[in-house]
Amino acid sequence: MTLTEPAIADSEAPPSEDGAAAPESSDEAPEAPSVLAQPFVTSDAATVGRLFVVTSLLLGAGTSVIGVLLSLGRTEAVAPWDLFGGFNAYFRMWTLYRMSFMLLVVMPLLLGVALAVVPSQVGAGNVAFPRAALASFWSWLIGAVIIVVSVFAGGGWGAIDGVTGNESDAMALTLLGTGMVIVALLLGAVTVATTVISLRQTGMSLLDVPPFSWSMLVAAAVWLFTLPVAIANLVVIYADLRGRPAIAFGRAESPDIWLQLDWLVEQPAVYIMAVPVLGIAVEAIGATVGARSSRPEAITVIVGLFGLLAVGGWSQDYFTAPQDLRDGLVYVAFGLAAVLPLVALAGGAAELVLRGTKTPDRLLDVRMLGAGAALKLLGAAALVGALRVIEPLDLLETTATWAVFHGVVAAGLIAGVVALRNWSHELLIGPLSVVVGRGAVALLLGGGGLLVLSDLISGFLADAPDLMALSLDGSAVLNVVAFAGSILVAVGAAAAALGAVSALRTPLTAESEAG
Amino acid sequence: MRTTALPAAEATRPRTVVVGALLATGAVFMAFAALVAVYVQQRQLARATGQEWFPEGSVELGPAGMMMMTLVLSMVTVQWAVQAARDEDRPHGFIALGVTLMFGAAVINQFWFVYQDTAFAIDGGRAELLFYAVTGSFIAMLICGMAMLAVTTIRSLMGPFGRDLAHGVQAAGAYWHMCVLCYFLVWYVIFITK
Repeated sequence: MTLTEPAIADSEAPPSEDGAAAPESSDEAPEAPSVLAQPFVTSDAATVGRLFVVTSLLLGAGTSVIGVLLSLGRTEAVAPWDLFGGFNAYFRMWTLYRMSFMLLVVMPLLLGVALAVVPSQVGAGNVAFPRAALASFWSWLIGAVIIVVSVFAGGGWGAIDGVTGNESDAMALTLLGTGMVIVALLLGAVTVATTVISLRQTGMSLLDVPPFSWSMLVAAAVWLFTLPVAIANLVVIYADLRGRPAIAFGRAESPDIWLQLDWLVEQPAVYIMAVPVLGIAVEAIGATVGARSSRPEAITVIVGLFGLLAVGGWSQDYFTAPQDLRDGLVYVAFGLAAVLPLVALAGGAAELVLRGTKTPDRLLDVRMLGAGAALKLLGAAALVGALRVIEPLDLLETTATWAVFHGVVAAGLIAGVVALRNWSHELLIGPLSVVVGRGAVALLLGGGGLLVLSDLISGFLADAPDLMALSLDGSAVLNVVAFAGSILVAVGAAAAALGAVSALRTPLTAESEAG
Repeated sequence: MRTTALPAAEATRPRTVVVGALLATGAVFMAFAALVAVYVQQRQLARATGQEWFPEGSVELGPAGMMMMTLVLSMVTVQWAVQAARDEDRPHGFIALGVTLMFGAAVINQFWFVYQDTAFAIDGGRAELLFYAVTGSFIAMLICGMAMLAVTTIRSLMGPFGRDLAHGVQAAGAYWHMCVLCYFLVWYVIFITK
């Protein structure tokens, strides 16, 4: 090697064709594992990322079906307890729908994209801890299975009508599964964050990191600040559940267990799912129109600010009088301020479009449409969130809470579709079909929009706090609209999942490599 | 002049294992801090409503102070192990590891004594429940720290020496220091301010 040749550290070794770090010499190259064995032994983060993406999309399709049934229960076509076989069963599904979309669908979907894309963006051959990434996937999957099985076995996060001893054991299992899933997501987040911090190409400062990698670094930091607080909640709940009849906090016979965890799916913590969406949207728009932001540092600050406003461990109100926290200045300020970075980012996205090539085929590209749709839904969610914290509007304990949730979830799913299209090479799949991509984006945008709208208006119409929307809403039409929105989301999620699965079977083409 | 024989400069960047361990350590600290926050908040609530938190004299400060002293000493021995791994000094590394593990075991033993001494029942009420939740979580964290330290130090000292393996011991050392910080919270919040 001469001094004029660049020094290449191990971590910067150029990736081989399958994305893994190149072996030291061809003589030492290990025998490639079989297709069946690969998911269990791979040290290639792109493969792990693909596993996360496909599995979470399939779970997303399943979760959205639960959403359809729950929405059907809101209409007057059938009583919810008849639909699920009892009020407790309805409550179990209601809570599973929310926890699942957050911990089993959107967060792992975006984490999977990050595991595949971030190493190549920062110039590393692989993630910092490939085995930890694989452990993250399998512990997440096992935790997800435990959650789903235990909820269907009568567990879940509390009950309303009273439970048997067996159901109490199933609840303990649900808590275990939840803890496993959270730890797994944290492990993946540590892996991604360490890759960005430690394995960046020499000379690349943190401000030079591409927007998606930066957004994942911010998201990982926010997850590391927020999700451990939920683990602390789980410890207290478990000790309480097993320590009965202390009945210190929650009781298995009440929704108190859920009330100790619901802050996770409410603002501001609900935005922790959405931080990577910003990075995906900026990169997808830039790649589509072939332009770069004139102020990349502004994008960096905006994403960082949104991440800061998503830190939510402090916002749980179970252990305090609710009005103390939610009427407080900090909670209101967080709710109102969350709109600002999204408005600023929309401005940044508009600047990209203005600077880039504006041909019809580019403007109608799946990535462009999807990025725009995700930002619109996220903006709508943040706007509802801002309205929700304005005390005179009285929206806090109403379905407006779920308008924010649905907007963020739909934006996350759309961002996943955009990522599949934008980084098919890194995800090692064929290109997502244009028809499927456009269809999924349109369905998710339409469904998410309808859910946000119906939940917000229902919140305005509610006479009293009613988070489950069972004694709503003053208008049966809104419940029908919510039902239609749920169906659209379910079809959109199913289309995205099927599109990803079929893309797995499609070989990489020049088009996908160029993409 | 030929320069081809000179090696390329080594890339300077943060150490991967240490950075990853610090991030994970921060997450564990957040979880523990959240538990302590619930404890403090509930105690404050009980006091505000005139309720007794722990019965008078049930929680003794002596054993807790001994644990604090033991853990402070363990911080020194952990750094001793880190330095030994860095210096590839096998005898000192094993002695430091052994002493640190002994300190850890002593703290667990002392906690067992505290549990026997207080004789709290987990279903006795909020105070007892949170007492066990906080201290039990700390013991679990300490056991994880002991396991991490043992594995990384033994790997460093028994296997081929090298900078990367010393980083593992450094990472375990950082986690250990965080555990001691967490015990400081336990000591102050549970045992001193009772």
